[in-house]
Amino acid sequence: MPDPSAPVASADREPLPRPSPSGRSPRARRRRPYGSVVGRLVPYLPAAVPAALLVAIVLELVRSSQLTNFGWGFWGSRWDPPDAWGIATFVAGSFLTALPALFFAMAIGLGIAIASTSYLPAWITRWLDPFVDLLAGIPSIVYGIWGYLLVAPYFGTVINPFLYRHLSFLPGFGGLPPLSDGLGLPVGIFILTLMALPITTLLIRDALRSVPRDLWEAGLGLGATRWETVRRVAIPYGSRGILSAAFLGFGRAFGETVAMAMVLNVVASYPANAFGSTGTMAAEMFLSLDSAYNNSQWLAALSEMALVLLAISLAVNLIGRRLIAQIVTYDVPGL
Amino acid sequence: MASAFVFRRAETAEELLFDRSLRTRWRLGLDRALGWLLPLLFLVAIVPILDLVYYIASHALPTLTWTVLTSTNPYDPDALGVPILSTAAIMALAIAVAVGLGLFGGVATAEFLPERSAGWVRTTANMLVGTPSVVLGYFGYFLLVITFGWGLSFLAGAVTLAFFMTPYIFRVVDLAYSSIPRPIREAAYGSGARPYQYVLRVAAPIAFPQILNGVFLALAIGVGETAPIVLTTTQSVIFPPTVFSPVTFLTGTIWENFSQPAGSPALALAFQAALLLMIVVVGLNILVRVISARYQKRLEGLYQ
Amino acid sequence: MSGDANGHDVVVSVQHLTVRAPQRTILDDVSLDFAASSLTAVVGPSGCGKTTFVRSLNRMVELTPGLEVDGAVVYLGQDIYDPRVNPVMVRRRIGMVFQRPTVFPTSIFENAAFGLRLIGEEISEIEREVEEALLRAGLWEEVKDDLDRPALSLSGGQQQRLCIARALATQPRVLLLDEPTSALDPAATQRVEATMQRLKEDYVLVLVTHNVAQAARVSDRIAVLHAGHLIEVGPTAEVLERPRNPLTAEFITGRFS
Repeated sequence: MPDPSAPVASADREPLPRPSPSGRSPRARRRRPYGSVVGRLVPYLPAAVPAALLVAIVLELVRSSQLTNFGWGFWGSRWDPPDAWGIATFVAGSFLTALPALFFAMAIGLGIAIASTSYLPAWITRWLDPFVDLLAGIPSIVYGIWGYLLVAPYFGTVINPFLYRHLSFLPGFGGLPPLSDGLGLPVGIFILTLMALPITTLLIRDALRSVPRDLWEAGLGLGATRWETVRRVAIPYGSRGILSAAFLGFGRAFGETVAMAMVLNVVASYPANAFGSTGTMAAEMFLSLDSAYNNSQWLAALSEMALVLLAISLAVNLIGRRLIAQIVTYDVPGL
Repeated sequence: MASAFVFRRAETAEELLFDRSLRTRWRLGLDRALGWLLPLLFLVAIVPILDLVYYIASHALPTLTWTVLTSTNPYDPDALGVPILSTAAIMALAIAVAVGLGLFGGVATAEFLPERSAGWVRTTANMLVGTPSVVLGYFGYFLLVITFGWGLSFLAGAVTLAFFMTPYIFRVVDLAYSSIPRPIREAAYGSGARPYQYVLRVAAPIAFPQILNGVFLALAIGVGETAPIVLTTTQSVIFPPTVFSPVTFLTGTIWENFSQPAGSPALALAFQAALLLMIVVVGLNILVRVISARYQKRLEGLYQ
Repeated sequence: MSGDANGHDVVVSVQHLTVRAPQRTILDDVSLDFAASSLTAVVGPSGCGKTTFVRSLNRMVELTPGLEVDGAVVYLGQDIYDPRVNPVMVRRRIGMVFQRPTVFPTSIFENAAFGLRLIGEEISEIEREVEEALLRAGLWEEVKDDLDRPALSLSGGQQQRLCIARALATQPRVLLLDEPTSALDPAATQRVEATMQRLKEDYVLVLVTHNVAQAARVSDRIAVLHAGHLIEVGPTAEVLERPRNPLTAEFITGRFS
């Protein structure tokens, strides 16, 4: 079975004999004296820039984290500079914000992508789709100022009390009543949902569009409704693309920094309940570098946090990209 | 093979085409309902955008004057002149460095590397794009600010931002060169062009619009970033006299002022900076889309 | 032109069907009846509107934006273009097989069961009907031992017969075949043709083909479309041997010689 999500554009990209940059045939090159190997490599070297940068990032962080003499003893729940350096609360905070946001972004993204590919006529989607792209273009600090000054108070005075009143029987929703400033998990998740939404929507849309027209028609021709064709034909066919949307959307939400630093009311503790505050790794790293600058242990602990954040982000990213042959959309930050 | 086939179901058109069973009514009803409900989900994207734009604009515009945008007087804290000029300078240096790092790499990957290694290189570029910006900020801080001893400075900020933008440039250049129609490549090499001649004379004019596009995209992404720049520079009320001086970036201005009391000039300044940022970013994004649509047409033309 | 159903019950009656695209008229006032237990081949040069014709018999034509349909397609006395009729119901009763095999990326069984799952049949009933549909499509003997295999592992001809079985499983009375062998090799074509000949005992088959030889082999009746007009219709042998319209003669000989 051919890879369903392979875009048509890559059809003519099968390996092509590459010219050597010196313009000589490989035979001729072999006869060249040994000493010019470096010279011949020069044209290839710039291609190593991304790898070099990546390696440099990892090495620099490993160095500054002093892993060798500080050890791996950062896996604790107590973060109390300059006495305790456990980062578990921040790791948990990153997941507690990113996972629910991913859930909403996937559900809404799936709905939008389905509406756009199978329900709405092209002349309408031409006007609606750009709004989703626009969502991706808004800088996170702008989300942050809007979230902090407008959305958070709204959550604090309207949404959170409402949820608390009606959902407090659920585990995690009861206990302490929500504060009226609204800073905390719900608004953080809301903002992250908006930030992950363009990525999930675009990738799911690409996945659904990769379904051949023949298959859509075959489903409809068997007497399936549009929805049944989507659910039983298109979604299974594009499942890899949809899964990759989940991974890459998660990666986007997981690494988000400034907006979370603004709306979460970052603290080094697990949230008391669904309305509580917590900190994410990225937000804590962003907020406390300033205070840590002349405390080498603090810097080391923050660097370790950076390494953990980087490792998880890269793993998620790598898996997400492995699932699909090529991402069709390139002009979205973080994609 | 049973050829005496008996239709087990209803025979009349009334029953065949107007199946009123609960199941059928549910199926058709669900489809119709989704046809109305799913498009409403677009509101999840549209309402926040409109609300956000209205909110920022309505708080930025009342006190926005020409002086606010242009005054570079260091004793006038509520002006954006210095941040605007500084941001332009940072972006200029950052994009220069990023193009320097990304352009040659992209060309080498698309043109010279064997497909297998090119795949690996693309993976590393994608991983860089997936690196959280705060991690890049830390990298810039430890390497440039501390190890290189540049301090919290214009140079450290611009170069960190350049690192952040490099993979975007790299990928766009790679894509631009890779997507040049094969017949054109073959014709060029077939008529004896040297690789550098192909890259510069044949491919460059074709790839240029898309590369330009990548530059605009990188600018749009870079100018909206906060973490890499705030972690590697520090605020200044004047335009940096040297590259090692502190510098103020637009996003930094927002970050410094967003928690000021409501109604204060400082908060208005944050809103004004945010509005300006959005105009620049959205403008660049529209530009990117226009160029990319035209470029697609041109590429299709090349295939004719 | 109509009423050409040899005295059998008319199942589908096409009445003054006209299909317009924004720039041109694809089908112009076509009227044609289809009787039970018959196989009508719709032939004509490419671009004559034969695919559009067959797609308008189960309202698939509506999936192409910009087309406008006039006239009526009467199925058992009911116009399927009546606004009260839901196209989903039409397509369940009037099945369709496409040019290229369009199996879904699931198992053979799930492909054949697709339509039955939609209407929520019991699993025992589904198994029985899948078996019967595969038997009718002449595929059962080849796949009965590994129904759980991915359908995409089948050969092209087998996939196409699976598509026929899939369409038969929901028990339509009409089966539309839009050049079902155009993507198949001669051996696979032969098997699909054999299947069609068996099926015409029980169904109304409408076969679109650009291949006159195929029409000659399997059909009882030929309808010739030319530039959107129905120029000739009659028993296969008659049309092939004594075409009344010179355009038909031209088309047939052009293909034969």
